[in-house]
Amino acid sequence: MQDQILTWITFIPMLGMLAIVLAPKNNTALIKGITFVATGLPFLLATWMYFSLFDKASAELQFVQNVMWIESINATYFVGVDGLSLCLVWLTTLLLLVAVPASFGINKAQKSYYALLLLLEVGILGVFVSQDYFLFYVFWEIMLLPMYFLIGIWGGPRREYAAIKFFLYTLAGSVLMLIAVVALRLDSGTFSLPELTRLAGEGNLLGKNLPFGGDLLGMRFTTWVFWFLFVGFAIKIPVFPFHTWLPDAHVQAPTPISVILAGILLKLGGYGLMRACFTLVPDAFNEFAYVLGVLGVISIIYGAFVALGQTDFKRMVAYSSVSHMGYVLLGMAALTEWGMSGAALQMFNHGTSSAVLFLIVGVIYDRAHHRDLNGFGGLSQVMPVYWGLTTIGFFAALGLPGMAGFVSEAMTLLGAYQSDIEGFKLLVVLSVIGIVITAAFLLWAMQRVFLGKLNEKYANYGDMNLREVACQAPFLFLCIALGIFPFYLLNWMEPSIKKLVQTLGG
Amino acid sequence: MQAYLTQLGHIAPELVLTLVALVVLVMDLVWKGRDSKRIGYITLGGLAVTAWVLWNQWRTLGDTNGALAETAFGMVTVDRFGTFFKLFTVGSLAVVTGFVLADRRERKHGIGEYYFLLLGAAIGIFFMVSTNNLLLLMLGLELLSLASYSLAGFHKGDKRSAEAALKYVIFGGLSAGVMLYGISLLYGMTGTLDLNAMGRGGTQGYPVGLAAQFLISPVPVALAIVLVLAGFAYKVSVVPFHFWTPDVYEGAPTPVTTFLAVASKAAGFAVLLRFVGSLFLVDGVHEAVAAYGEKVGLLLAVLAAVTMTLGNLSALRQTSLKRMLAYSSIAHAGYVLMGLAAMTPEGFTASIFYLAAYYFMNLGAFGFLLYFEGVTGSEQVDSLKGMGWRHPVVAWSMVIFLVSLTGLPPTVGFYGKLLLFYEGIDAGLGWLVVVAALNSVVSLFYYFRVAKVMFLTEPEDAVRTTQPALAGFLAILGALTVVTGVVNERLRTWSDDGQASLGIPQDAARR
Repeated sequence: MQDQILTWITFIPMLGMLAIVLAPKNNTALIKGITFVATGLPFLLATWMYFSLFDKASAELQFVQNVMWIESINATYFVGVDGLSLCLVWLTTLLLLVAVPASFGINKAQKSYYALLLLLEVGILGVFVSQDYFLFYVFWEIMLLPMYFLIGIWGGPRREYAAIKFFLYTLAGSVLMLIAVVALRLDSGTFSLPELTRLAGEGNLLGKNLPFGGDLLGMRFTTWVFWFLFVGFAIKIPVFPFHTWLPDAHVQAPTPISVILAGILLKLGGYGLMRACFTLVPDAFNEFAYVLGVLGVISIIYGAFVALGQTDFKRMVAYSSVSHMGYVLLGMAALTEWGMSGAALQMFNHGTSSAVLFLIVGVIYDRAHHRDLNGFGGLSQVMPVYWGLTTIGFFAALGLPGMAGFVSEAMTLLGAYQSDIEGFKLLVVLSVIGIVITAAFLLWAMQRVFLGKLNEKYANYGDMNLREVACQAPFLFLCIALGIFPFYLLNWMEPSIKKLVQTLGG
Repeated sequence: MQAYLTQLGHIAPELVLTLVALVVLVMDLVWKGRDSKRIGYITLGGLAVTAWVLWNQWRTLGDTNGALAETAFGMVTVDRFGTFFKLFTVGSLAVVTGFVLADRRERKHGIGEYYFLLLGAAIGIFFMVSTNNLLLLMLGLELLSLASYSLAGFHKGDKRSAEAALKYVIFGGLSAGVMLYGISLLYGMTGTLDLNAMGRGGTQGYPVGLAAQFLISPVPVALAIVLVLAGFAYKVSVVPFHFWTPDVYEGAPTPVTTFLAVASKAAGFAVLLRFVGSLFLVDGVHEAVAAYGEKVGLLLAVLAAVTMTLGNLSALRQTSLKRMLAYSSIAHAGYVLMGLAAMTPEGFTASIFYLAAYYFMNLGAFGFLLYFEGVTGSEQVDSLKGMGWRHPVVAWSMVIFLVSLTGLPPTVGFYGKLLLFYEGIDAGLGWLVVVAALNSVVSLFYYFRVAKVMFLTEPEDAVRTTQPALAGFLAILGALTVVTGVVNERLRTWSDDGQASLGIPQDAARR
């Protein structure tokens, strides 16, 4: 059991999906029950792994399973986790578990909804545990289909547009990624990520075995691979200028799907860059680190400014994600241990804080059926609990000291400031603008929704119910707890981050 | 006498199939005017026997490195390559026969000749895929074409069907003439109709070959080869010989369209693979000819890029599902051509694998079309509104086929595309791979318009008829599409076995 624990975690949701397919359509209680079990068990297993089974002092892959899958192309079923992926696996299982009660408001075609939700979980977990690039890619693509339908069927008025836009953008990125993966396989003879990383570290992954022998149209093989992979992952993060699918997808998606999208799907991009892009082409990464830093800072500032201009609550939160994920890119590009740890921590913390923000939007949308920031006012008088939780969520998101977001943003910026790469100090200074603007749009939004004169239309609104509080509670807890004890996460990640930075030559 | 019988044994599958066709024809006369379902069952039974004979032949051929040393009557080459495509044909014909039986819009009486024509087309394919002799190849191709013309126009009263048949005849006749001219040029220059002799000419005891002619003057050789390739390009609907495809696919009865899109197209590719392989790549081919083969490869690569792009872009605008699938089949011809353009044995394997993958997903997509023609009586994508909620099994199966046609994992279509990309890059055709990859993004848009209409819109009317047998079949096909996407080593080995018997020297040092 312990040896195959990752396989169980990944495929229990799939068993749940099959069970739901066979379940009668009208028995929604049974369907929800199955979904609870199928998301709950992976969460319990992941928690068990996190606190007890996992050796956090080691930077090596643990719980490894490596079985030959397709012999002719040397693709393997190779799974394993290190500290970095384990943290994200745990976050995924938590988010998906919370997404189940958060979905109780959905009444349309519940059977399909929960089946697709579980399929989505299989895809996400699969990406985090895969150590074989072929397997990684398969899981990466499996996610797209359920996401398309979840946005497209249960989304808002412009859901068809948002769903296909999401699908097309992500697929455009991933076909480029596929070409790079195939090229790497042809050069090295393996899909194994640790093996590819090793070869790259030794300088043996330069495309010498390809027909064009390393150079193509005046660009080095590694440069090509780097940009193909980078674009594939950057679309997912999303980094400016690849972010335009995100506001549409977020705004149209139903609340629990927005939560998953912001909480975990965006992290796949950052994780992919760390695990399956930079390490495979370290020289190209070093060469373009400054470009990535600039893109990160543009995302931070641009995302914050655009969020400031929104009147749609959800759209504002969506753009805040662009801004927050900019820190991840900036931290990674700095190529220092602090920067990289900060980026990893920021991914986790954005996972929890953005989940809270989207749940907050969901609460008010369920009652008012609109999200116009200017249409509310004075809600603190009728919904005190909601106001209180929103305050915590907003403060976590804007990086108030003592909250999780502060630690990770501070680490990222410090790490970037320490960077040896010329010009990063300027980038750090510039990104401070983003912090100020983030505080501005969040506080301004709070003012417009909760303070001021009570809008009479909403005077009879009930406060948050127990289900809604329960959905937000774990994330708010994490936002506060990791602000005070960030080492509960950092200690797990540290060895693998150290190794990663060393591999990259930082 | 003994030798004669042995040689007859080599063409046992063809003989069995011919026998079945004759039985069908006679029984149709005997049972005239009555329910033709029984004829359909006879066809299915006959196909099962043929498949069994072919399977035995496939296994026996394993003992002789995939190909028999002797040909049957100096004409029919018995090798695994041919047998692979014959099995493919039998498999698709069985499904097509099932489709005819399940077709709601088809009349049920006096359609025995429908089955006879289908079987006749299959006999044509059988001969054309298993010969190195250009004459027999031409005869097989013409038999297939003649049967297809009549099948396309089978709905005599239907204007579109008649139009389709006429267009098909005109285009087909023209391209057959062009191809025949190319073949006669080749014959005139080399004095042989045997592809192997042409390719190896000048070496291994063949007196005159392509090489000798080529060294004298490359222009007529190039002309002849381009003319022959044009004939094949027409058969597999490669741009610029694709104009007939959308009209014929749309006008022909849906089972016939299925046959044209799957079996006929695969047969076209089979002869194309054999032609290119035997002339330019086989063991012992003259250097000059091999070098010329690289130019042909480049030509094919350009054709592949143009074909897939044009096919996909045209498909974007279609409102009829049938017409959309026609353009999609043009685009897929472009993908298959990638493997050929690589001009390597592994590239050929990838092409064959992709055709096998295409079998699952395209039969599925056409089965879906047939199902909904029975429900709504329309081929328009818009008529599928909300069908996902009314017919979940069929609709979700269709989603699998669409995913596979787009080339997303974990389906067989993805693995096929991966192999093609792989061989493309390995052959130095990186640009073509990028074009193909971007093309699959474009194709996502129109494929998923079907999914969108089915699931993202509300049903309009209360049509509730179902065809459980067809729905079950589509579900099985959908499951197979996923299963072969995950467990595909066997299918790849078969494709490779088929390719290996073409006699192309294999690259042993491959990793």
